[in-house]
Amino acid sequence: MTCSNCAMKLESLEDTLEGVKEINASYHKLEMVIEFDESKLTDEQIVAAVKEKGYQAVAV
Amino acid sequence: MLGALLGWLGSFLTLSPMTRAMLMIAIGIFMIGNALRMFNVHPIFRYFSIEPPKFITRYIRRTAKGTDTATPLFLGALTVFIPCGVTQAMMATALGTGSVVMGAALMFAFVLGTSPVFFVVAYLTTELGSRLEKLFMRFVAVVLLILGFVTLDGGLNVLGSPLSFQNLTRNLLPSNSDSAPVAESPQLSTPEGEITLNVEDNGYVPSTLKAPAGKVLTLNLITNQTYSCARDFVIPALDYYQLLPDTGTVQVSIPAQEKGSTLFFTCSMGMYTGQIVFE
Repeated sequence: MTCSNCAMKLESLEDTLEGVKEINASYHKLEMVIEFDESKLTDEQIVAAVKEKGYQAVAV
Repeated sequence: MLGALLGWLGSFLTLSPMTRAMLMIAIGIFMIGNALRMFNVHPIFRYFSIEPPKFITRYIRRTAKGTDTATPLFLGALTVFIPCGVTQAMMATALGTGSVVMGAALMFAFVLGTSPVFFVVAYLTTELGSRLEKLFMRFVAVVLLILGFVTLDGGLNVLGSPLSFQNLTRNLLPSNSDSAPVAESPQLSTPEGEITLNVEDNGYVPSTLKAPAGKVLTLNLITNQTYSCARDFVIPALDYYQLLPDTGTVQVSIPAQEKGSTLFFTCSMGMYTGQIVFE
């Protein structure tokens, strides 16, 4: 992430990724906290969706 | 609409030079902090990027997807709230007009004039490849850093600080100090106890005035078809602020000053500066 707009772009996954309940992305902390339904979505799918947006993510 | 609102607000408020100086210093620091953030100097500078509350970003995101006519109008209206130093300075100026019509006209002219620039910047950031985008962002950071220092310096000038770049360097550069043709300056042709300063479109002549210490003086400010911001004359230490007529003479009473002291003067934007040295 290079600015607050990147955090907004990542939070837009809320609208497109099925199984996501809430996303809180922070440019200040360079982190994204995602609450999701594990029966519909996996860590790998989230990392891939983030990559598609042009960013790199590591699940922790 | 924002300009009209600011002008209307300004008719109730008066933005004193001190308030303006503090605003300029804050904006300058904000711009420098953002430039350093873009250079990735330290993670602390990320906090210069304002993260709007989540409910606002969610609302903007969902509205931006709308196809009704209100969507572009809403997004366009938001651009004036971009935390950009120049925009905020213009908003402060609109506030300073104290008139609904003047405030609206000023902001309208500003938006009209900057629209092509915003369009080109938006086009470049979306169309450039990631490598070129990085270079472009570096370029933006350099420009922001320079503008930040210029704004901060202007604020220090309006505050009457001897630490501003112009006030620090004035005495180091021979062209601006003693070798300035004081003898040719109009101050010697004026009666005793009076000093004269020509307020011109590109600044104050001479930029360094010399005056006797320990005496009450009259400073004659002469304008002759002067239309630049040099007319907006400020002596911060005396809390003196006056918009001079485009042509005419305004007299300012200067209380007795100690020997060796310096009184800085400037335009209200901190662009044009000068000093009176008491000997």
